Order: sequence, then structure tokens, then C-alpha cells
Amino acid sequence: MTIRFERIDDCRWEIPREGGMRVPGRVYASAAMIDDIRRDKSPEQVANVAHLPGIVGHSLAMPDMHWGYGFPIGGVAAFDEDEGVLSPGGVGYDINCGVRLLRSNLKIDDVRTELERLSVALYHAVPCGLGRGSRLKLSERELDHVMEQGAAWAVQQGHGRPEDLKTIEEGGCFPGADPDRVSERARTRGRPQLGSLGSGNHFCELGYVAEVFDDDTAAAYGLHEGELTLMLHSGSRGLGHQICDDSLKRMLKASAQYGIELPDRQLCAAPLRSPEAQDYFAAMACAVNFAFANRQVMTSFAREALSEALRMGDDELGLEVVYDVCHNIAKWEEHEVDGEMRRLCVHRKGATRAFGPGHRQVPKAYRAVGQPVLVPGDMGRYSYVLAGTERAMKETFGSSCHGAGRRLSRAKAKRQAKGRPLFEELRQQGVFVQADSKRTVAEELPEAYKDVANVVDVMHDAGIARKVAKLVPVAVIKG
Amino acid sequence: MTDSGHRTVEHTADLALEFWAPDEARLLVQGARAVIELLTEGTPLPTTEPSARPLQLDALDPEDRLVRWLSEVLYLASVEGFLCTDATLELPDGALRGTVYGHADASEHLRTEIKAVTYHDLKLQRSPGEARARVIFDV
Repeated sequence: MTIRFERIDDCRWEIPREGGMRVPGRVYASAAMIDDIRRDKSPEQVANVAHLPGIVGHSLAMPDMHWGYGFPIGGVAAFDEDEGVLSPGGVGYDINCGVRLLRSNLKIDDVRTELERLSVALYHAVPCGLGRGSRLKLSERELDHVMEQGAAWAVQQGHGRPEDLKTIEEGGCFPGADPDRVSERARTRGRPQLGSLGSGNHFCELGYVAEVFDDDTAAAYGLHEGELTLMLHSGSRGLGHQICDDSLKRMLKASAQYGIELPDRQLCAAPLRSPEAQDYFAAMACAVNFAFANRQVMTSFAREALSEALRMGDDELGLEVVYDVCHNIAKWEEHEVDGEMRRLCVHRKGATRAFGPGHRQVPKAYRAVGQPVLVPGDMGRYSYVLAGTERAMKETFGSSCHGAGRRLSRAKAKRQAKGRPLFEELRQQGVFVQADSKRTVAEELPEAYKDVANVVDVMHDAGIARKVAKLVPVAVIKG
Repeated sequence: MTDSGHRTVEHTADLALEFWAPDEARLLVQGARAVIELLTEGTPLPTTEPSARPLQLDALDPEDRLVRWLSEVLYLASVEGFLCTDATLELPDGALRGTVYGHADASEHLRTEIKAVTYHDLKLQRSPGEARARVIFDV
């Protein structure tokens, strides 16, 4: 299928309505990016999403878009409360895969000589990869509490501080979770995994603030040049994968039952008010909370490890949560559409919420400047902290990009990595890598990803999210 | 007579598999072997006598049956450590029943993780003497 693009301006492209599309598509990309995007299958996926009933505005794609399954990675779509649908394929398998950033009181220059030791300490403290499950042993009842309470459960158990919860999307607890909607299989997969990173593109990373673009906003986020940071990227592990898998099977049947025509079966969906959609929402919320708790528990493991390795107390270390964002989620939100406030179900798949200044769901400490948007890059270059804007609220249902986006397939990355001393190469660049699997490091090669600087520049130039700070990695833990 | 086989196909973010066999039942077995080969990265499996377990699945149609079968093989391997090496399958309308053979308690042979079997861009072609499939996995 050939997808037609019409250029709107330097950052925006329209995919006009054709065939069964109910709304046009809109892609955020620079002229330099668009050729790569056209070669991919993701534009077709943007058009496919536009076929779903009740979609409002545009089927959107952020500049880190690439071929996924069902929705494109980097896809955002909002659905009308009455006419719209809920699609598990618009959330993905790793429900509430997300990123958490912590700031510290340490200067990178004070710990440069300690970095290898710190990377080893983190590697041992944060379970990662295959076969290194959680150190926690959850009972069935405790798993219920995790799924209902999210990060708050972890804090109650001594994993972290009460103030951590103030700077997590949704306060670390997503409403509407019902553990009765979660299958035995999902529970079996999730129970041994709380507090573990997983593999693939998940990571735990020490870095530092290398550049500040907006002093006032950076200061509001507690970020200052030269300070050490910690970033975690992980999600709901096997629990989320299984919940998605279970729901797809039910939604396929529901799509036929409700007469929803699907250009791709992975987009199977049910009307928002249907029992199928409500059951999925309640199960998805369980996985969202599990993921918040997961990142909270790992935060506490990382704090303990760094505290012990550096022989410093909590006050001296700092390690406060700057923010914690979801990448894969469907949420009820209120947005202005054609001058009218409407309650919409916003699907973000590989996209980050980016609420602008003044929004009541932005933590008080950040309300004047907008919500922090955390955009990790590859493990060799840099990551960015952005701030949500009013324009994002008007154009993208308050959404922005979530990462660099892959450029090479895993197989191609492995071929490029073959025979290269990757750990040594990265060390030469100033990054100590500790990994459970050499294969993962090869697949996650820095050049396997697009340059995240180009991605965030599009968001910045489009006025969707403002650049606040650039972080450079110094120690990376991979599964 | 078509041989059975499988190969991986390039996909930007995930992983696609193509597999083929003389008929649909053997195609499903071939798909299962491909999944196990991916999970174990081709490391040799135990040489002990495989154990057998009965299996029954309902599905909406042959494409759905293929995804559900591979999801089952993936679940058995990654959660229960049962690595499927063979199966005798009957495929009545929209269902699957039969016996799965494989190595139990073999999770130490797993080398990598596959999150799920997807329905995206799924291809299943059946013609006399040949069945072919293409499936994308979330890794």
C-alpha cells in the first residue's frame, strides 16, 4: 500500500483520508527523516489506526515512529467516549513500559573514577536479563495489592520514600484496576518478576546533565549541569504481556461481534462501553500499577546499591525522583476538540504524555513549567528531558515522542556488531556497560538507533515539547 | 512433496519468522520448533527421552489457531520450562487437539525472551501439498 504524504510545514506531514480512514493521519518529522519513514511500514499503520470507530482529530505519529504491530510505535490516537473503541494493540504488550529519572546531589566529576565500580554495584542490585527474576517473593494477596496500589504498595513496604509518589504520572497508581480481571497465567508470569528490569531495550543508566537549554525549567525539575542522574526503563514484564495476549483473543471475537472492520487483526478493539473493553481496561490498569511498582522497587534497589558503594546516606546522595512516565497506555483524559472539552480515551503506544503548564495533572512543583517528558536515546550518545506545552494540548492530546526509535533491525545490528569489542568501544566513549547478554548489547548498539537529537528537535521546533536538558550516559546496565 | 523448514525475516523493531511444511499440522510443528530454536538460540537440547502432554485449544479460524498454538508453545517454554520438540495434532474446525512432546524442566536451555506472538501482518497460505506461514513476534 502506498501512503501519500502532504507537507504542512517543516515538522508536520498529513496523510490524507482515503478509503475507510475516518480521519486523516498526521506525522511529526523533519524533511530529512521522511524518506526513511516512507520506506517503513509505519505510515500504513498510521492509516490503519485511522479506520477505527470513534477516532477523534488525527491518527498521530511522533518523530520516533517505526514499524510495530497494530499501532505504529510512536502512535497516538484518541477516541470518543460514546462512539470510540479500546484497542489492546494500541497499548502494546509491555503495558506501562516507561521511564523514570532521578537526580542526585553528586557531581559527575566527583565520581568519574568510581564509575566502573558503581556500574558493577548497580548490575548486582537490579535484577536483569533472563533467569534473574525478582528478589521479592510475592504472595497472591500481595500481588493483588501491587496491582491495585502500584508504586504506593512498594513505598509502604519500605521500597522508597512517600515523596517519590508525587512526581510519578498518575501518582504511581492508576484508577480502575481489578485483579479479578487478570488471568492465572498473567499472575504466574508476573509474580516472580516484580523489581526486575527484563531484557531487550530496557536499562538502568547512570548519566549526568551535560547541557541545560532552559535554566528555569531545569531548576524546577531539580536538574543542574554536571549533576549525576539515574534513569530506569522497564515495564510490566510478563504480567503485561500476558494481559495483552489474553485480551487480544477476546477482542478478536468482540470486533466481529460489534461489526468493527479491521485493516489489521492486531488492531482488534471493542466499543469503550462494552464489557470486553471494560474488562481489558481493568486488567490493563493492573499491569500499569505493576509497572509503577516495578520501577519503584528497582529505584530502591539502585539507591541502596549506590549508597553502599559510595558510603553515603540518602540526604547526601539525593536521588530524588524527577519524574516517571508511561510509554504504552490507554487513559481517560479531557481534551479540547473544536473548542469543546471532551472526555476521550487516549491511546499512546511508544509515546509520552506531555501535558503543558497549568494542567491539574502536572505535579504542583512543575505546574508553572509543564510536565517533564523523558526521552532516552541510545546507550552511547545522550538522552533528553523536555517539557510539555500548551501546543501539545491543542494538537497531540498532550503527547510527545518517547525515544530515538530503531533504525536497524536486531539482525542487522548483530551483523554490524560482529567481531567488534563493543564493551571496550563504549568504554572508550566513556560508558561502562554491564550486561547479562552480549547479544543484547549487540542488538542495542548505539547506531541501531536514530539520533535522538533529531527526534527531539522536531518536537521542539513543532512547539510540542521544549528542550530542557541533555543527559549523557556513563554507566549502563542491560538485560 | 514440500520440505519443512523455517527462516527469520528482517523486521525493524521485532522479529518475523517464515516457516513451511507439507500440510498445516506439520506447519504448526515446524513453527513450534522455530520458536524453541529462537528461545534457545540453537543450543543443543537435552538428549533424554521427551515427555508428552495433551493439549487442546479453541480458535476462531486457522490464522487465530496458528497464533494461539505458538503462544501456547511460548508460554510452556518461558514459564514452565517445557521445550516442545514435536507434536501430533488434529485440526478439527477452529480447534486444535493432540499431544505435545518435549523436554520438561529445561528452562536452563533458554537464552532469550520473546514477549508475544502477534497477529500483525500474519500470513497463512494453505494449498494441496504445501502450507506456509509468516508470523511477527514481539521481542
